[in-house]
Amino acid sequence: MAKVEKKGAVSEELLREFFREMLLIRRFEEKVEERFRAGELPGFLHVAIGQEACAVGVCRALEERDIIASTHRAHGHTLAKGTHPNEVMAELYGKLEGTSHGYGGSMHLYDVERGNVGANAVVGGGLPATVGAALAFKMRDEPRVAVAFFGDGATNIGTFHESLNLAQLWQVPAVFVCEDNHWAESTPAKQHLPIEDLTDRAAAYGMAAMRADGQDVEDVYQSAHSALDHAREGRGPVFLLLETYRLTGHYIGDPQVYRPKGEVEELRETQDPITKLREKLGLSDEEFEEADREAHELVEASVEFAKAGTDPKPEDALKNLYA
Amino acid sequence: MEAGTIVRWLKSEGDTVEKGEPLYELDTDKVTQEVEADASGVLLKILAGEGEEIEVGKRIAVIGEEGEEVADAADEAAVEVDEDAQEEGSPAPARDEERERGREASREAEPQAQETARSDGRIKASPLARRIARERSIDLASVAGTGPDGRIVAEDVERAAASPTPVHAPAGAAPLEAEVVPLTSLRKTIARRLTEAWQAPAFQISMSADMSRAQELHARLRDQGVSLTDILTKLAAVALLRHREVNAQFTDDELRIFPSAHIGLAVATERGLIVPVQREVERKSLVQIAAERKEIVQRTREGKLAQEDLEGGTFTISNLGMYGVEIFTAVLNPPQAAILAVGAIEEKPVVEDGGFVARPLMAMTLTCDHRAVDGAKAAEFLRELKMLLEEPGLAL
Amino acid sequence: MPELSYREAVRDALSQAMRKDDDVFIMGEDIAEMGGSMGVTQGMLDEFGPERVRNTPISEMALVGTAIGAAMQGMRPVAEVMYEDFLTLATEQIVNQAAKHRYMSGGQLKVPLTVRTQGGAGWSPGAQHAQQLEAWFVHIPGLKVLFPSTATDVRGLLWSAIYDDNPVIFFEHRTLYGLKEDVPEELEPIPIGKARVHREGEDVTVIATGRLVHESLAAAEQAEKDGVSVEVVDPRTLQPLDEETLVDSVKKTNRAVVAHEAVTRMGFGAEVAAVLQHQAFDWLDAPIERVGAKFVPLPFAPVMEEFVVPHQAEVYEAIMRTVGRNGD
Repeated sequence: MAKVEKKGAVSEELLREFFREMLLIRRFEEKVEERFRAGELPGFLHVAIGQEACAVGVCRALEERDIIASTHRAHGHTLAKGTHPNEVMAELYGKLEGTSHGYGGSMHLYDVERGNVGANAVVGGGLPATVGAALAFKMRDEPRVAVAFFGDGATNIGTFHESLNLAQLWQVPAVFVCEDNHWAESTPAKQHLPIEDLTDRAAAYGMAAMRADGQDVEDVYQSAHSALDHAREGRGPVFLLLETYRLTGHYIGDPQVYRPKGEVEELRETQDPITKLREKLGLSDEEFEEADREAHELVEASVEFAKAGTDPKPEDALKNLYA
Repeated sequence: MEAGTIVRWLKSEGDTVEKGEPLYELDTDKVTQEVEADASGVLLKILAGEGEEIEVGKRIAVIGEEGEEVADAADEAAVEVDEDAQEEGSPAPARDEERERGREASREAEPQAQETARSDGRIKASPLARRIARERSIDLASVAGTGPDGRIVAEDVERAAASPTPVHAPAGAAPLEAEVVPLTSLRKTIARRLTEAWQAPAFQISMSADMSRAQELHARLRDQGVSLTDILTKLAAVALLRHREVNAQFTDDELRIFPSAHIGLAVATERGLIVPVQREVERKSLVQIAAERKEIVQRTREGKLAQEDLEGGTFTISNLGMYGVEIFTAVLNPPQAAILAVGAIEEKPVVEDGGFVARPLMAMTLTCDHRAVDGAKAAEFLRELKMLLEEPGLAL
Repeated sequence: MPELSYREAVRDALSQAMRKDDDVFIMGEDIAEMGGSMGVTQGMLDEFGPERVRNTPISEMALVGTAIGAAMQGMRPVAEVMYEDFLTLATEQIVNQAAKHRYMSGGQLKVPLTVRTQGGAGWSPGAQHAQQLEAWFVHIPGLKVLFPSTATDVRGLLWSAIYDDNPVIFFEHRTLYGLKEDVPEELEPIPIGKARVHREGEDVTVIATGRLVHESLAAAEQAEKDGVSVEVVDPRTLQPLDEETLVDSVKKTNRAVVAHEAVTRMGFGAEVAAVLQHQAFDWLDAPIERVGAKFVPLPFAPVMEEFVVPHQAEVYEAIMRTVGRNGD
């Protein structure tokens, strides 16, 4: 199995940017939980609390015309890829100003201009299209990479296997980012994975694989960079495994009765990627509070923006069926 | 989960609370868990007590600034989405108004009626309306439509049939659908054989009715084509519906009592006795009944009855009065539970106030299948019919 | 006018599009060297090379899904699913992804994908190799569904499918591949959503698809000899349906028969009958008849297969029932 080497160290300035972005995602997700409990957000919502470093580390390594496809847990990826929190929040509120104009909601966030070809509510549903996008880039000779996010649970589904197989066979410029948080909804890894090391799944298809600490944004960033270069330079697709933790339930309101007592509390203490980066950067309390204030302001503003947004007309439901 | 119980408050009124701090312990169907505060501030008021079962959505406490006034608990309950949902997702109760708007818009957007009446020569009438029109020989062109898109529907045809203006096609005109099956001799043979072979335990009861009032009624209506037979048929229908056990059919294993009187009229023809059925007699006026009777008797004599004209009868009337027969017993018409035989109306002496007067009496003999009807019920029915014939106004 | 078989007509449309347009490419199982299990793509590998005539592994989800992804990036891929029975494997991608991207994104994306497939009984292929599943796909908002029955139609419609910006499921019929006819010299694109009246008549309208178009034309000839004048219409596009042409025809004849090779129950014909019933209620002189396969999987033994699948005789009988001459 081909090994991909990681890049060199990341500047402090960049890490501070990463910190602010991760904190923004965190406060956004917390606000989403709060607004959901207030009965303002319909449908179901899956927040990415604990997985911010995966989103930021990968998305910040992308080049301008690279594309991503996300999962049902898409808010973090969408924000990290550059969609303004106003447009994301407005979409959760079902407004026309939302990034999918009210047609998609939390699990179908699209921002095509910014290279986000959609979050997918079907586990593994977006993987084949990622292969297809990468194929198009290759056929047209464009130096672009298609990136798919998915979880450990998705490594069981047919589309995962067929996609990795075909991607490797046709050597398309794709990166398959697996956020392994060790849970598939309420099913722990040992109940759904017959193997320990998920990079074996890539090996089965002869695909290059990398592994990184999903709670260390610097590690994620460096690994992502290398993986993207590998694909972009025509050396074939890469499977990037990020070990991460879900610090909340599967969906908002999930009482997590299936999780061992104390696990979540302990992980919050020891595996919070924001805390870790804060410590790595040695941020003072004042610096943290200032960053936090900015994040809160942006998030509060996004709620105001969303609430003041325009409801679609009922008949708008009949539009956008055909091109 | 619809309700839960607060087991224990972890904070007291007046305490400072941080967002995310455990505020109370909640007992639900599944678990007891700590619930965190959604906001930071001072716990100004606790509205729900420990051990009290609270419905989801009810306000349980107020967190605010120190010294803030707490609005009355009676105002608008806070919308709390159930933390411990059995299922993922929420309909977002705070957004119910939008859902109502969407539903309303959908109702208003129902597709417009296809077309208004088209003048391409085609009459718009429902299949059911066409069938009724065919059965009653009504010309659809003369019927006004009130159904969808101005279409003629069954009700319209019924209404046209009930109107006093001549409603059936001019004599000699063929009905709209010329789907007539002439009776073959085989059919007649079968009918006769069935009747003969039938072995029901039958009994008869007889009464005479004073036909004075009926004759008066007849006199008033004869220009409209109404005969005494029609009056008898109509009143029999009324009586049948008041004594429904007689309006019945008995087959091998079941007794069927009908909500409507379909009365067979025994008609003598060259080819034998035929009993066409007039349907739903109780709903029709005397004029309608008369028109139908004429029409059906005509068709019977011409051999132009359809199978359905002979089926479905719930009662039969046989009248040999025109032959001068005073009284006779009719044979049951299976599977009907009863048949009425009537004789001629004759002036007979009747005792009244100790003296004799002459009254026009008509003898009626009711034959019943004892498996379906017993003596008492049969007598009650016949008595009712007698009463109606003697005072037709009682049929109203 | 040149004469082309249905098969050649498909190949011609694909090839002309690929010559004109670098963004058009084809992918599917065994389509390269072998030229496809039905011989449709023979010779195309030589002309266009392996980059644009791509064999795939037996991997329908990835096959169709990859085509979806490429289409989302602006290419015009034509994916071939060898048998329409195997569409079932790719259905998640067709139904949940291709059909819905445009809508869920609020109009940000187009999926100009064409999925070609074929089916058809009559050669004892057994239950898993001859289904007619168009009813599944006409039921999904966001998809267009085509089912041409002649060489001219398949050529003109495939071109339109490729250049339509929406996902199109393009059904071909196995038994028609060898059917030859004169076609226009120049490829004439046929608009999607337009039915074709094959034969005019006065007494009964027969609406038929695929192989049943030809069975119906034969039945119409037969009925003609019995004094019944039959109009035969092929919708060609199943979704969006050309309701106007179908309804106008039934308003003229007052009787309708809907015929397809797919199972009658809950089939495409049921929708057509419902539309006709609603829009031509006052013009109908007889109940609408439907002709299709009996409600069983397709049996293997020839004697049973012929019993299950509809032919000219069934269409003829249906025609005669509508004019009240059953058992004649």
